[in-house]
Amino acid sequence: MRAFSAAPFVFVLSLVQGTPQRDDGQWTMPARDYAATRYSGLAQITPRTAPRLRPVWSFSTGVLGGHEGQPLVVGSTMYVVTPFPDVLYAFDLTGEGYPLKWKYRPEVNPTALGIACCDAINRGAVYADGKIIYNLLDGHTVAVDAVSGREVWKTQIGDMSQGETTPMAPFVAGNRVIVGPSGGEFGIWGWVKGLDLATGKIMWTAHNMGPDSSMLARPGRGRYSGEANIGVSSWEGDSWRRGGAPVWGWISYDPQLGLIYFGTGNPGPYNTEQRPGENKWTNSVLARRPSDGVLMWAYQFTPHDSWDFDSNAEMILADIMVGGRMRKVLVHFDKNGFAYTLDRVTGEVLVAEPFANLNWAKGINKRTGLPIVDTTKTTGASRGNVRGICPSLEGGKSPASPAAYSPRTGLFYTATNNLCMNFEAAPTTRIAGTPYIGATTPYVIGPGGYGGAFIAWDAARGRPVWKIEEKFPVWSGSVVTAGDVVFYGTLDGWFKAADARSGKVLWKFKVGSGVVGAPISYRGPDGKQYIAVYAGIGGDWFLLSGDVRSDDPADVRPPADFVPDLARHTSQGGIVWIFGL
Amino acid sequence: MDLRPLVLLAALTACDRSTAGGVPASIRYPDHVAAGGNQPPAGDITNPLKPDSTNAADGAKIFSAMNCDGCHGGGALGWVGPSLVDGRWRYGGTDGALFQSVFYGRPRGMPAYGGILSPSAIWKIVSYIRAQPIPVTVPTESFK
Repeated sequence: MRAFSAAPFVFVLSLVQGTPQRDDGQWTMPARDYAATRYSGLAQITPRTAPRLRPVWSFSTGVLGGHEGQPLVVGSTMYVVTPFPDVLYAFDLTGEGYPLKWKYRPEVNPTALGIACCDAINRGAVYADGKIIYNLLDGHTVAVDAVSGREVWKTQIGDMSQGETTPMAPFVAGNRVIVGPSGGEFGIWGWVKGLDLATGKIMWTAHNMGPDSSMLARPGRGRYSGEANIGVSSWEGDSWRRGGAPVWGWISYDPQLGLIYFGTGNPGPYNTEQRPGENKWTNSVLARRPSDGVLMWAYQFTPHDSWDFDSNAEMILADIMVGGRMRKVLVHFDKNGFAYTLDRVTGEVLVAEPFANLNWAKGINKRTGLPIVDTTKTTGASRGNVRGICPSLEGGKSPASPAAYSPRTGLFYTATNNLCMNFEAAPTTRIAGTPYIGATTPYVIGPGGYGGAFIAWDAARGRPVWKIEEKFPVWSGSVVTAGDVVFYGTLDGWFKAADARSGKVLWKFKVGSGVVGAPISYRGPDGKQYIAVYAGIGGDWFLLSGDVRSDDPADVRPPADFVPDLARHTSQGGIVWIFGL
Repeated sequence: MDLRPLVLLAALTACDRSTAGGVPASIRYPDHVAAGGNQPPAGDITNPLKPDSTNAADGAKIFSAMNCDGCHGGGALGWVGPSLVDGRWRYGGTDGALFQSVFYGRPRGMPAYGGILSPSAIWKIVSYIRAQPIPVTVPTESFK
């Protein structure tokens, strides 16, 4: 690969130690680096040149369904994983029209389509040790030789009969492949597993609740301060066994501290009265050792969750000045509408402020770490229909739309939703392999009348710096570059570039379907900077957008009630786009 | 030899009793709902229940209690699973086809409920689905 002119990097001071200081132009893991910054050190595209961006290539994946996640670029090859049936494409970026090198077609059990709660999505692959590693929806992880496309290993990690599916993007720390399941709406017993990178063998399994022995927790050792067996005592009876806490979001890693960080999802069922207690460690951030899975600390964002506020969103690692001190922090935009800046060594809450309209809590007590809950917004079957809760269970931000961090601007960039909901809980029965939900939760557009926004956030002070309002909720990931340009997409199918410092929209292009994927930036074999992104509305927006899947003659849907106009602008699709100057 | 049609017939004639003893072994499973996709028996069968509001209302309750709405949405309008109230059917919309879809499941994610629901209960679900009106806006959606 051509050496990059490195002048801008002299000024890059606050990247987490251990992440590359020079950008090699590749994108080899879901969030580009261990710190999950989604920051590209490439700088050819700037606020001055961005208006000249143009599409240079596109490719239909042949698959509908929500195209979440992102491509990888390793050397001169781009890798794309589709939603179910989880096809893996390898494109030769040196050839005219980027022809396929190979295409890998795994066997995937279509039963998974009825067990994935919210469309048959996939959040992408990771490259390590010469292998492309990703999850199939039906509870398997596969490793494919990055050169030949041949399957190297395949491991069953999830159990569909218990409601587990596996659309998350695996993460590699050292010689461990870290994976987790979806199924917070199916009454799973949530976990993460560490697989051997070379063979795929499951080396450890760590549950997110249950006895300490199952959680690989050692109270009193290290920074973990949970009481003995709190994963049982913070639940009633054996409700923890079906209590959810899926791991379907993103993972980050601090090699110096030797810790991986990930969020856990909601407790199940939604009807709180079937699971009294704080329900640890649902809706939490967990710090574990990747080698053996031992739990080193945990912090719960939303105890005894009343609103389906999963905490699966990314934990972005950065070293920033907070209150006059340089701190090793972890920044997390929770579904509950608060953005948290935690000390990632200890789990201490440094900053916790709303980044979206919210009313379920008055704030976060930073000493105790507990939210100050507005009990009029607490839900449960005996409380009837609780109205006007903000944000909705789509989250102030979706964990499916990962944020980015620029060490140049010191700002975090994230999609947000501006939705509120009513929440009517009801008793529900767990029938393994079927939904275990117990609530009806219609949405309305939140205060201000806009569906969502793309914002820049100052995590040291806990306040927004700029905001681009959008008509519809914003559900895409983002990438920010050393050229100080940030990219995101909209549900109505626009892909946009904005000035990372001012929030001024510099350029936009209609990509053919709503964007729920995450853009990347890479350097092509020709030495030029490119931006790639998926178009393909889906995920929750398959469920919520009305009649946007037109390939099934036997499934015709009424317009979505709270975004009736969305289907006017998009249907489903599956297109990989590449843009350049 | 495939005994399913005989078993099904036996189950239907005893539709008010639990069919736990009469369900094919491949579908009985005590701990979870089996994956769908077994080929249903040939031939048509008709709903032994009267198409009245009581049966439909019972069926609506079962539809919710068995978590059908978790996939097909409230009012069966469609969620991760297809709409059941648009007048369109992947596997046929007759009473018998609907019964078989619920009893045996279908390949793309519909579980087989034959192991845990009595035929009587399934017929009530069928009654509920068949009682739903088809929206007049299908097939044209107009944006104004």
